[in-house]
Amino acid sequence: MLFTHAKWIFTAADGDTRRILPATKHYPFDPASGNEGYMGRRKKIVQECERLMDEPENIRNIAIAAHVDHGKTTLSDNLLAGAGMISDETAGEQLAMDTEEDEQERGITIDAANVSMTHEYDDTNHLINLIDTPGHVDFGGDVTRAMRAVDGALVVVDAVEGAMPQTETVLRQALREGVKPTLFINKVDRLISELQEGPEEMQQRLVSVIGDVNELIRGMTEDMDDVDDWTVSVEDGTVGFGSALYKWGVSMPSMQRTGMDFGDIMELERNDERQELHDRTPLSDVVLDMVCEHFPNPVDAQPRRVPRIWRGDDESELAEGMRLVDESGEVVFMVTDIGMDPHAGEIASGRVFSGSLEKGQELYVSGTAGKNRVQSVGIYMGGEREEVERVPAGNIAAVTGLRDAIAGSTVSSVEMTPFESIEHISEPVITKSVEAQNMDDLPKLIETLRQVSKEDPTIQITINEDTGEHLISGQGELHLEVITQRIEKNQGIPVITGEPIVVYREQPQQASPEVEGISPNRHNRFYISIEPMTNDLVDTIKLGEASMDMPEQERREALQDAGMEKDASQNVEHIHGTNILIDDTKGIQHLNETMELVIEGFEDALDNGPLANEPVQGTLIRLHDARLHEDTIHRGPAQVIPATRNALHNALIHGKIKLLEPMQDARIDVPNDHMGAASGEIQGRRGRVDDMYQEGDLMVVEGIAPVGEMIGFASDIRSATEGRASWNTENAGFEVMSDSLQREKIMEIRERKGMKLELPEAIDYL
Amino acid sequence: MLTFIGLGLYDDRSITVEGQEALRTADRVYAEFYTSKLIGATVEELESAHDIEIEVRDRAGVEQHPEEMLDAAESEDVAFLTAGDTMISTTHVDLRLRAHDRGIDTHVIHGVTAQTATSSLTGLQNYRFGKATTLPFPYAHGADGLPASVTDTIDENRADGLHTVVYLDIKVGHERADEDEYMTADVGAELLAEAYPDLVGVVVARAGSPEPLVEAGTMTELADREFGEPLHLLVVPGECHLLEADALVELADADRDTLDIV
Ligand SMILES: Nc1nc2c(ncn2[C@@H]2O[C@H](COP(=O)(O)OP(=O)(O)OP(=O)(O)O)[C@@H](O)[C@H]2O)c(=O)[nH]1
Ligand SMILES: [Mg+2]
Repeated sequence: MLFTHAKWIFTAADGDTRRILPATKHYPFDPASGNEGYMGRRKKIVQECERLMDEPENIRNIAIAAHVDHGKTTLSDNLLAGAGMISDETAGEQLAMDTEEDEQERGITIDAANVSMTHEYDDTNHLINLIDTPGHVDFGGDVTRAMRAVDGALVVVDAVEGAMPQTETVLRQALREGVKPTLFINKVDRLISELQEGPEEMQQRLVSVIGDVNELIRGMTEDMDDVDDWTVSVEDGTVGFGSALYKWGVSMPSMQRTGMDFGDIMELERNDERQELHDRTPLSDVVLDMVCEHFPNPVDAQPRRVPRIWRGDDESELAEGMRLVDESGEVVFMVTDIGMDPHAGEIASGRVFSGSLEKGQELYVSGTAGKNRVQSVGIYMGGEREEVERVPAGNIAAVTGLRDAIAGSTVSSVEMTPFESIEHISEPVITKSVEAQNMDDLPKLIETLRQVSKEDPTIQITINEDTGEHLISGQGELHLEVITQRIEKNQGIPVITGEPIVVYREQPQQASPEVEGISPNRHNRFYISIEPMTNDLVDTIKLGEASMDMPEQERREALQDAGMEKDASQNVEHIHGTNILIDDTKGIQHLNETMELVIEGFEDALDNGPLANEPVQGTLIRLHDARLHEDTIHRGPAQVIPATRNALHNALIHGKIKLLEPMQDARIDVPNDHMGAASGEIQGRRGRVDDMYQEGDLMVVEGIAPVGEMIGFASDIRSATEGRASWNTENAGFEVMSDSLQREKIMEIRERKGMKLELPEAIDYL
Repeated sequence: MLTFIGLGLYDDRSITVEGQEALRTADRVYAEFYTSKLIGATVEELESAHDIEIEVRDRAGVEQHPEEMLDAAESEDVAFLTAGDTMISTTHVDLRLRAHDRGIDTHVIHGVTAQTATSSLTGLQNYRFGKATTLPFPYAHGADGLPASVTDTIDENRADGLHTVVYLDIKVGHERADEDEYMTADVGAELLAEAYPDLVGVVVARAGSPEPLVEAGTMTELADREFGEPLHLLVVPGECHLLEADALVELADADRDTLDIV
């Protein structure tokens, strides 16, 4: 055979050649046996899961994450079938994890889905709690949240497409949470049967995919001192290959076990003997063995992960309980997902870090007063939830009764410092209005929208006070389309939706001089100045690395690391959005008790910028001095709020505040003869093409364009390239609009919002 | 000409004769009732009692847009009315200064204020009061609970042996409430009891009305009583001179043992 083991000894980063464990395995439940009914089998699996839940050493909590369409859900199906939970035949077609109707229709995953299964490895039965995540960039919030619940991420990469923008994003999401990656290269069948690649060519391609992924991992883990080398390698067994569609897989350990090498595989695949290939080297074995061998169990993972995601006292009993995955400790449960069950109502799922969840417990929910009573606890079996007696530490649980919980809540049996909030890096960029067609549906619509924002924190819902309409802001056109469709279909509320509107930002471009703010009664005066913040500082706040919830010392350090001067970092009084208020005053009488009103005025000014009432970002406000009336009555809200609000707007205008628009990175893969049309689609949208290069037989066009111009891109690029292009977009933050467009766009927004169509006189620079 | 006229404490009859005469000859009459209010007379009653028309301005109309009043005052006799005295707790000196900026003559006609009435009704001596303070509704100021400025004022005065007048918040035409709100003395005492449960306070209710009430007790006790119609205020006595103590016992039914007598 051309393709022998020796060829697959790629050099790992450290040249380590580890012993590969031989694995014996047999299925606890043979799906093919057929006699046993599905329900009976399922019941047994649930019982086995319940038994295994108490042995944290044998638990693996993992997420499958990848670029859109790289085959996560098809792969998950394989694993379910391998574990005997769905029939072998339907795996891959059924897409058991894409349970929602719209997911099946659109052929994409929208909601992350949980499932528990068992797998015998090394003579020990393991419990695997798996989350299949969506790949479409609009639903990236689900990936971020799933990573909080798991300890390992199986990153899937399409062999043909290679590492793509979302591959990088999901890796970053995993590593930020201290979640260990392994790699599965999927769709290898296409290299063999479709692209007819020879062994050399194929190996080259696979090696380069591994290299690309490792380069990303290396870059992202460089500064992480709590992990050692997390790059993946074939010889370590942290890389698998295969075809989720045809259900076969291969890895270094599997080659040793089955005696089949790549050459054998290529031959069978070429000859269309895929069933035999599946029978002899099933994908589920390859992947589940890899999961058991290479992902940390909760006992290994929690001591490392907890300090990353929780800032409570690490000497406390709570900390100890989480480190030890102590099932008899205090209950600590992190909610990462809220779902709806037509019968059971709202279901909170997430990770149990300590203690055991049981029915009837009265638990605290972070950020709310009072307690919630647990009505049931369960685990996920595919799309369905199976109630169990208890779910102990180290597992992923589904709980009903936690009516105050939202995705991101910390739920516990004693009051505690909540977990770090789960920050999704991309802010909403696009907004649509929704109105109920029948006024009678209004209360139901409001209730549904409240539910939506509980389930998906990357959504923002606001009410336009003037028109009374509800505005949903989300990550992209698809995101909003799915949500409004679900409101209509699942809730049966006919709605009217407006045209998508882009979300803008305002930001000053230079420092302002000191500005005076005077209260209406003229007894109170505030002296402030503003300056734009560096991107480093803005990112630090966006990522939640500096927030008002954390201990002061840590916040100071994080801000200083991002380049803030020491003095300023010590005087941080408030953070709102990505804006910071520094209190540089000293010993002013009564300022303390007035500060909340000062902040209220600033927040109002920041939420509604002076140009077009769009949110202000990246502004550092310094309060230099204040003069206050002796008596509270004469420095109440009616005095202080307008004084600070107006002062800030004034300062922002002196800082030459400008309008920013959200941008999108776009990557288009297109045959050579349509390349011109493809790059034209970007350039024609006030966009910029940054790179064009050949990849395989396709050209790749990379560029960036404003989100507002990208509305409708999908259908335009389709017709411009006769449907031959595939493309990806990703939100790329906000950029200042060109000067020539500022005034026009500002007026357009002001008109839409029913604001006055003239700018304050001081804005003479636009 | 802009004449500031204090309406006094209670109803259309609380104004001075001088004030009444100035009012009747004014070309235009403005008033504000957001800082305080006459409990015993409505605006309509005032208008008919004095045979005038009153233009009531809200806070923005006085503080942000006083131009109309000042324009009128340039050529006509304009009266500006408030309850009590226009320059004491209502602090309308800003308006007076703006008028001077424009070269408008101004004139002040005094009204009886809660400050003098308090001395008069309790027998506590005018010379022995320290700084006054206002106790705001908890939602109306920028911090939780009792504002430090209130406790600081009381503490400083007491350290000097001085009495403190604690005005109780009123909200007239406030955006957060449908109706006018007046903090009653029991509510004020309850707030103060957080910091001073056993401190003696003296309630002065409806000063200037035909039935004023003066009543002493610890803050905890006062919090459980009722004092009838507004307006109310509280006094925190400091050290009491013998005669002041006698007055509190006789006029406010104070328990002599609870007083700090020098
Ligand atoms: N040829 C081939 N096609 C595959 C393979 N795995 C998946 N596919 C196909 O790729 C498409 C996407 O598969 P999914 O499993 O839905 O991909 P996904 O990553 O879950 O997609 P999202 O969740 O929407 O991001 C489907 O048409 C699958 O049939 C494979 O190994 N070989
Ligand atoms: Mg999927």
